[in-house]
Amino acid sequence: MSTRAAVAVENRMFRALAVLRVVVLVNAVALIAYRNNYDHPTAGWFCVALMVGWTIYAIATYAKPIRRTVRLMVADLGIAVGLLVATPFVKGEWFSSTIPGFWIMGALLAWAVRYGWRGGLVASVVLGGTDLLIRADFDQGNYGYVFLILLGGPIVGYLVESLQQMAAERDRAEREAAAADERARLARVVHDGVLQVLALVQRRGAEIGGAAEELGRLAGEQEQALRTLIRSQDRVTAPDGPGTEDLAGALGALAHRPGVEVALPGGPVELPSAVVAELVAVVGACLDNVTRHVGPGAPAWVLVDDLGDRVAVSVRDEGDGIPEGRLAAARAEGRLGVSESIEGRIRDLGGTATLSTGSFGTEWELVVPRTEGGR
Amino acid sequence: MEEQPRVRVMVVDDHPMWRDAVAKDLDDAGFTVVATAATGTEALNRFRATRPKVVVLDLQIPAPSGVEVTATVLQEDPSARVLILSASGEQDDVLEAVKAGATGYLVKSASRAELIAAVQRVSVGDSVFTPGLAGLVLGEFRRMAQDPGPTTLPGEQLTERETEVLRMVAKGMSYKQIAERLVLSHRTVQNHVQNTLRKLQLHNRVELTRYAIEQGLDD
Repeated sequence: MSTRAAVAVENRMFRALAVLRVVVLVNAVALIAYRNNYDHPTAGWFCVALMVGWTIYAIATYAKPIRRTVRLMVADLGIAVGLLVATPFVKGEWFSSTIPGFWIMGALLAWAVRYGWRGGLVASVVLGGTDLLIRADFDQGNYGYVFLILLGGPIVGYLVESLQQMAAERDRAEREAAAADERARLARVVHDGVLQVLALVQRRGAEIGGAAEELGRLAGEQEQALRTLIRSQDRVTAPDGPGTEDLAGALGALAHRPGVEVALPGGPVELPSAVVAELVAVVGACLDNVTRHVGPGAPAWVLVDDLGDRVAVSVRDEGDGIPEGRLAAARAEGRLGVSESIEGRIRDLGGTATLSTGSFGTEWELVVPRTEGGR
Repeated sequence: MEEQPRVRVMVVDDHPMWRDAVAKDLDDAGFTVVATAATGTEALNRFRATRPKVVVLDLQIPAPSGVEVTATVLQEDPSARVLILSASGEQDDVLEAVKAGATGYLVKSASRAELIAAVQRVSVGDSVFTPGLAGLVLGEFRRMAQDPGPTTLPGEQLTERETEVLRMVAKGMSYKQIAERLVLSHRTVQNHVQNTLRKLQLHNRVELTRYAIEQGLDD
């Protein structure tokens, strides 16, 4: 993996490893000075000098991605192995802890970070194997130590690979989101021009009259359709939580119906998907009613009012209203009228549907409570 | 308006066909089109030079944006009026322009008669609402009411009556219909509607000031 994200993760890991290298170096040197039990102290101090020197060199060199070469990796591991191998000669055959001790973690984790779980496994086998080979006797403690090395290398390697993968995926998602934004912006510029011309044709067509009027009407329909499309596109956002949808976006799409005007708040109105679907269906039924009783293309208005703990949707027309007694008559005949069906469906959502009708027209006010999954 | 001096109007639109059509319609209807402009910069320069009473403004213009032009124009001449004439109905932009002080909004598919009536009404200080704009403004007040942040001052909140009127406008009712339904005078309804805009603009200014103070820009 050579993506930017993978390199960024690797850089982070090597920065953390630099701190770890210093910690294990201090630990190793302190132990050596404290115990001071070497057969050949001079050779021992030479080993310490090598560890200090290599630690400084390694931290400086690993800092730059371009310098993390195979040669460096092999040298890092080689020095750790060399120090392990030197232990029986410097400390005497019956040593218990090796010269570098935990310092070999630097090389082990470098391999895991650089080459993933495979690198971690190779380095841990080499280091663990060397540790076994140099010992004259082998006890429980040694076994535990080697076993942990064998586990730790591959696990850290695997984690680093996973982090790199996740970082790469996040990068890709961010790039895609940015590209989508840019596409939307470009589309808006194009659409704006088209809308301008359509609106102009509509206006001029109506003024010129005759055949041009028909052209104007067609342009008007397309303008309305395109405007609705743009609005619904603007409203495509990732939903707040699972199972919720934007009621405003869903009802906004109804504006493509001839004569229908939809008034919405600026942001999304999140409600559970099932509630949104039912409300859209009920509002659709109300608008069908307008078409049936007032006429096709009759003006109708839909308003979405988000009151926080509840959401009110109203559907209004300017027809003659529902004649007095018609609802009662339908009920008496045992017919389930449209209004009963609307009331029932909203009641099932835990809300209320209020009908006002008269010479001013007909208006439904649908109010549903907002339970969980709200704003 | 026969007896009054002709209202001075500026038309800002980057689309030449539209700009000329709107300018001609207004001219025919008895307005004086003192300037036209295609970009935000042109608009501001020509506004300063000609001081029109009404600016008919498309929001989608080359920089500075229609929203910025609205804010600058009204800052330099609070007696000027801005009528937004927008093609795509970009909701956020429309809301921002209204917060910046625009008192009218019309979609471009409106008829010539509607446009002329709108310019006339804006020029005498009335506000021109579409149901869509009323829905946006209502939504903005609802959002403010639910905002857990700094509480809105009473002067920035809608009264019950104002909310009721605003909802009716959003439901597509004309001022006349609202006046009949609520048994109010036409003028009272008009005042309620104007108050909602005034309060929204006030809230916007308070927010901006608050922001400036927070950012330490108030000195």
